[in-house]
Amino acid sequence: MKSMISKLKSHGWGYLFLLPALLIMVLFNFYPIIWSFIVSFNKTKAIEIKQAGLFDIPGKFVALDNYMQVLKNDLFIKSIGNTAYFAIIFIPLTLILSLLLAVYINKKFRGVNFFRTVLFIPYIISVISSSLIFLALFNSESGFINAVLKQFNIDGPNWLSNEWLAMPVIAIMSIWRRVGYFMLMYLAGLQNIPTSLYEVAEIDGATPFQRFRYIVVPLLSNITIVIFVLLLRDVLTVFQEVYVMTGGGPGNSTVTVPFLIYNEAFNYLRYGTAAAMSYILFMITVVVVIFQNKFTKKKHSTR
Amino acid sequence: MGQSKSRGKTITNYVLMAVILLIFTIPLYWLVIGSVKTNMEFNQVPPTFWPKQFELGNYLTAWKQLDFKTAFINSSIVTVVCTVLNIITGVLAGYVLSKKNVFGGKLILGMIIATLIVPPAVLLLPLYFIITKMGMYDSLIALVLPFAANAYTIYFMKQYIDDIPNELFEAASIDGIGEVGMMMKIVFPLITPALATVGLINFVGNWNSFTMPLVLLRSDEKFTLPLKQALLANATDVNEWPLILAATVLSIIPVLIVFIGSQKMFVKGIMEGAVKG
Repeated sequence: MKSMISKLKSHGWGYLFLLPALLIMVLFNFYPIIWSFIVSFNKTKAIEIKQAGLFDIPGKFVALDNYMQVLKNDLFIKSIGNTAYFAIIFIPLTLILSLLLAVYINKKFRGVNFFRTVLFIPYIISVISSSLIFLALFNSESGFINAVLKQFNIDGPNWLSNEWLAMPVIAIMSIWRRVGYFMLMYLAGLQNIPTSLYEVAEIDGATPFQRFRYIVVPLLSNITIVIFVLLLRDVLTVFQEVYVMTGGGPGNSTVTVPFLIYNEAFNYLRYGTAAAMSYILFMITVVVVIFQNKFTKKKHSTR
Repeated sequence: MGQSKSRGKTITNYVLMAVILLIFTIPLYWLVIGSVKTNMEFNQVPPTFWPKQFELGNYLTAWKQLDFKTAFINSSIVTVVCTVLNIITGVLAGYVLSKKNVFGGKLILGMIIATLIVPPAVLLLPLYFIITKMGMYDSLIALVLPFAANAYTIYFMKQYIDDIPNELFEAASIDGIGEVGMMMKIVFPLITPALATVGLINFVGNWNSFTMPLVLLRSDEKFTLPLKQALLANATDVNEWPLILAATVLSIIPVLIVFIGSQKMFVKGIMEGAVKG
């Protein structure tokens, strides 16, 4: 009995310490997630949002109506395609480049620290700034890229006004910003691989490529999973770069799902469909994460 | 023979390094030289790779048009307050979730971690709604309070505190040190590297934050730097790109200074985080 009281006493401290974080998480994370979920089944007018109280759910229940509308919306389907197009360029290239760079600087030579510092700098530059930089870089007339192409007598394309090229430019910028960060994560993994493994492989006559393929890649698979999930998160947040660089154009070719959700909610004030879109995005994320977990678990158990 | 081979290897290493560095720094180079060109030179075809004339006046104009001082102060307030609150709430919660066997602790931790896979777009509309209803729309508090605790920080802190041996707390408890004392005398001193990393990551994230300020602010005098920068870029004539680039350099400099001053801790933290994760 006495011990229970003392336990409660010490736990009281625990709850008190937990309280600030928990209050904020509940009010600004858990509650919004639920609110959004309910609103995604409601038809909600701007005026109803204005008049509702903090814990009211505005609008009228319309079941799956919003979802039906969203799934019939061509622009929404297109935005999923655009986002996938971005992901197909962005994810594999970032993974491969950061791994290769990590392998490259996992050697001791002078200048390595300088090298990784410089490669890390793009990561601290805001998306707004890097978007503006890349607009200047890929400008069809005054841009660096086309100026260099001109030196080789190539007429560079009009990058950001081309339906197929605008998204890759955004992807290249995103890769540039993140490679330094993920390179460091991979480097940490590499430095944790015991050198004896390499020595044994060398005695067995493994070529550098074989060592890479059969030691480095499998032993880094855990970090690859973490990076993959982080990259996926990045894919599902592409908003600012579109807002600044293309405004969704040309011909809606860079309208991503988050950009569309923003427009739907804050320009067209269609809250119900905006919420439905965000939940479809959420479901896609969950499916990918589950699929990814299953896939990696299987791989582990067969080894 | 062997020596010349290794020397050849070193040379290849350095050549490769130079090439990679060159490719990576081209955007930054183009930013800086673009920011000191005259409007006329910037728009000339083909462009020049080195400015014929340095127009530093762009920086003066950018400073004025960004309303740099106000925007800088707003950004600093939001960033510093948010980062400090985040660390405090994160350490307190991380400590409890790691060392205290509180009822429901596992569930709470699980729910907190689960929020990490929620796409930020899901939160955009409800946060706008909640902030408006709480009467905080168009205030700097709106940019601080919702972000004063986050799942990543809490989880990171918990992981770090897991590594502190329980014996330390037991010994302290025998010496009659209370919970607050444990935080001040054991937890905080032992997790300083984690504090630095999380602090820096939060700092950079908050400093560069754009979407929430865009949604939650309305009046000019409350705008943060990225918001000002985007608005300036929107409002500026295409012929005045050097001005936009100068504004961009100005916005990057503060966070660059913080980064250069602390990059060792930064690098160490990310690498440790990678292995732990």
